[in-house]
Amino acid sequence: MKDKILMIVFVLVLGSILTTALVAVNFLTTPIIVRNEQTTTRSSILRALSIEFDAAQVEETFAQNVEQRQAEGMTYYVAKDSSVAFPYSGSGLWGPIEGIIAVQPGFQRLKAVTIIRQEETPGLGSRVTESSYLRQFAGKRFADGLKMVQPGRADADNEIDSITGATMTSDAFVTILNRSLQQAMPSIRRGESQ
Amino acid sequence: MSQSLKTFINGVWKDHPIFSMILGICSALAVSNKVENAIAMGAGVTFVLLATGLLIAALRSLIPTRVRMITYMIVIATFVIVVDRVLKALFPEISQAIGPYVGLIITNCIIMGRAEAFYVQNRIGQSLIDALANGIGYTYTLVSVAVVREVLGFGTILGFRVMPEGFTEWVVMAMAPGAFFVLAIFIWIGRSLAGMQEE
Repeated sequence: MKDKILMIVFVLVLGSILTTALVAVNFLTTPIIVRNEQTTTRSSILRALSIEFDAAQVEETFAQNVEQRQAEGMTYYVAKDSSVAFPYSGSGLWGPIEGIIAVQPGFQRLKAVTIIRQEETPGLGSRVTESSYLRQFAGKRFADGLKMVQPGRADADNEIDSITGATMTSDAFVTILNRSLQQAMPSIRRGESQ
Repeated sequence: MSQSLKTFINGVWKDHPIFSMILGICSALAVSNKVENAIAMGAGVTFVLLATGLLIAALRSLIPTRVRMITYMIVIATFVIVVDRVLKALFPEISQAIGPYVGLIITNCIIMGRAEAFYVQNRIGQSLIDALANGIGYTYTLVSVAVVREVLGFGTILGFRVMPEGFTEWVVMAMAPGAFFVLAIFIWIGRSLAGMQEE
């Protein structure tokens, strides 16, 4: 009986000590982690709006060049040349894909698309993050929806080459972008016309 | 040969966790696609080994036999969460790349295995040497596999381009099957060099 009680006491005491240590670590690291995430998002917004910045001065550049606005409950970001950026997210092939879409002034054409988070197949689907793929979104007309075509076939100004060997990811990505644009642009148009 | 040296050599070579015992393979396969990830994972596992070795060896006369496994689990889990938070705070990019696998250090059998086989029976000094040796053993294997996979799969080492422009990247090396091939070859070479035989 006595050793059973000792056993329980041992587990409880050790558990409490370790839990306390974890609470302390959590307390110390949470502010840094939150700040990191904010910096990641902001540098992605700056990249989408094609604003040059120094990696060490993301916050300053952001504060000087970008204005955060609200319209109908959604947050978006406006640059000095009145191009607009907003976050998007959706399901890729394996997991969520998140990033920033930037739209040129006039809201007819894309300015740039960036990716902050994705879990696609390494070496295949994960190539959505490569600049050679993302670059082709610049200047595309999105009013009638972006359209994915076979690699090398993109011709019209709403067509996007898919990634060789990653058709499912390319398809999912274009679908996410179309849906996000459809959802966000009406609010942003109304917000900006006021 | 002194006891400490013997413990060390056992860890980095004779009882090498990956070559000799085929432990910790899951994480070794998953994060060895890039050298940077392999180093981070190796450092994480080494830290958890050292911390677990220290604590388990220090508590070894107090740990009731029947709950020793639970004790290892909560000790390991605690240190793994610490590693995960510190990576997230200080190295967000690496944390992004190897994120889910950091949590899996908890179930890395190298740590459980060493705790049960060594730390619970040995003094703190010896346990720390054993932890360091096993950590180094795990890390150098991961990094060697990662060098092969990153050069062939991405054409780079630590992000620097080493293969000429126009080199066709071996996609298979960036994915899990490539890890199986390379790790199997490493285990074969390692075992042949050590003269190990299946009994």
